[in-house]
Amino acid sequence: MTHLPILIITTSLLVAFVLPLLGRHFPRAVEPLIIGIISANIVQVSGLLLYVNANGTFRYALGGWSPPWGIALSIDALGLFMILIIQSVSLGILIFARDDLIHEIENSLKPWYYTLFLLLLTAMTGLSVANDFFNVFVFMEISTITACAIIAIKPHPDCIEASLKYLILSTLGSGLVLFGLALVYMVTGYLSFDFIAESLPNAMNLYPLNIIVSLALLVVGMGIKAALFPLHVWLPDAHSSAVSPSSAILSGVVVKIYAVILIRLLYTVYGLDILAHIPISQILLTMATLAIFMGSLFAMGQTDIKRMLAYSSVAQIGYIFLGIALLSPSGITGGILHIANHAIMKSLLFLAAGAIIYQTGIRKIKDLVGIGYQMPLTMGIFGVGALAMVGIPGFNGFVSKFHLAVGALEAQQPVFVIVILISSLMNAVYYFPILIRAFFGPVNHQMKFDQLPLGMVISLIGFAVATIYLGLLPGGLINLAEAISQFLLSRS
Amino acid sequence: MADLVLQTVVKLLIPFIQMYGIFIIINGHLSPGGGFAGGTILGSSIILYALAFHVEDALAHYSRSRAKMMESAGVVAFALIGLFGIIRGGHFLANNIWGLGETGTLLSGGIILPITLAIGIKVASTMITLFFHLLEEKKL
Repeated sequence: MTHLPILIITTSLLVAFVLPLLGRHFPRAVEPLIIGIISANIVQVSGLLLYVNANGTFRYALGGWSPPWGIALSIDALGLFMILIIQSVSLGILIFARDDLIHEIENSLKPWYYTLFLLLLTAMTGLSVANDFFNVFVFMEISTITACAIIAIKPHPDCIEASLKYLILSTLGSGLVLFGLALVYMVTGYLSFDFIAESLPNAMNLYPLNIIVSLALLVVGMGIKAALFPLHVWLPDAHSSAVSPSSAILSGVVVKIYAVILIRLLYTVYGLDILAHIPISQILLTMATLAIFMGSLFAMGQTDIKRMLAYSSVAQIGYIFLGIALLSPSGITGGILHIANHAIMKSLLFLAAGAIIYQTGIRKIKDLVGIGYQMPLTMGIFGVGALAMVGIPGFNGFVSKFHLAVGALEAQQPVFVIVILISSLMNAVYYFPILIRAFFGPVNHQMKFDQLPLGMVISLIGFAVATIYLGLLPGGLINLAEAISQFLLSRS
Repeated sequence: MADLVLQTVVKLLIPFIQMYGIFIIINGHLSPGGGFAGGTILGSSIILYALAFHVEDALAHYSRSRAKMMESAGVVAFALIGLFGIIRGGHFLANNIWGLGETGTLLSGGIILPITLAIGIKVASTMITLFFHLLEEKKL
């Protein structure tokens, strides 16, 4: 049982590099293999979650060398929760991608696309459990480069431009993180989070400036990578021009992994005492509020459906940071819940948009008139995603927004309840016109059923079922998120 | 561009460059260097050949698909060596497959030598693949 965390990472890495070899001789075996390995990962991480629930968190030392000399992975509820989201969402996306990729990228590149995809998953899995700065940095670089590559793999000038922009800004973010961790290393002499957390309170008395500057650099660096509002400029291009499965994984999961690392750093490494020295909570809250409003405002102005979804992601990242920065138990629970819920609903929306583009080639929102008669299933599922985004009770978006609102009240900052309410209405302003156009526009088509390959239909229905299930019966997820928030607050 | 002096010198140099690369790789556990440094030197020998002769000649010696295959094989070997540690009852990458040997001799350090070899193969092939990729300009 104790070897499972490293097995998840290394078997994915192994399979990622076996895929191109396999693709040359047995191209038919590629897709079953990658879906098989991700399913296996889901089973393993579920087992680990049960184990951690029963026995508590533990550290896995690579090569048997214990920190601070060796590398140790932290196997706790936060990391496992994130791995579970990463792997399950990508399983759905890959089932969709099987049929969608055929007309987006060259056939010979398909095994390489899966290699990059699996490497991205491996890097994110590593980031979820990494417990030292060195591994965080290395896995961050892997995930940045593979994320750029799965945008640039589509042979279109827009994609190259977008991925170059992403690469440059991400590298800037990595550079800031590197500076930040160098400053921490300078005053503590450790890279392992556990040891840094132990020696920081003492170092804070001696070198307060180093630690505060490092905190600022880490927050801005992670903020660029997580596309927090004024630092979001790369996101709309990157997420809208990529192939739909890439958009779904990038918007659904990749930007959130940096929020998770920031949560881990703020709560378990720095701790609330050090955070109290500078108004980091207020700064993050302001940025999050701006993100929520400006993301929605920009989304209203978009004419391209995937671009609109990308700007909507900017707004939703704001909710997650709002939850992190409220520093109250329910706020953290809400932020964690929103990571999961937004991953599911945004992947659903991007894949539904991808299905519309697959069947009709329409990308402009104004051309979507009457599309509900051509693709009732896809638009129905898009409707589920849109309602969840707005936060209608019964869909999963409501659950996390409710917890965020409770968290704002707990933190005695009721103004953020109003922010959440107004922004929900703003979400409705740009999601509902699409549904109204699709279903209530002038009918000039015969009613017919979607002509989509089976894999796409299964994947879309799977995401829709998850959205509704987690909206109606969110108990298990809430318990998990509450356990994580307790774990984080107990550490700091 | 066929320059006799350049080509002759390169032909003479390449065995030494490759020997030096291999030396750096397999002495990785004893002296400064290792898989990354040695692999880069090893890869640069093929790049030098491609620059002095034609790219087609270099491709004939070390084809694109072989470079890609070696790239994958390097990582696969690394991960398998790491997983052997678990099979032998230790942690991932545990140095328990065979004895550590006598400190300072070439065949010592347990799994470090095969691991640097795997890294060397991977880095050398990556250097070559990168070079070939930069050469081919794809029109969009």
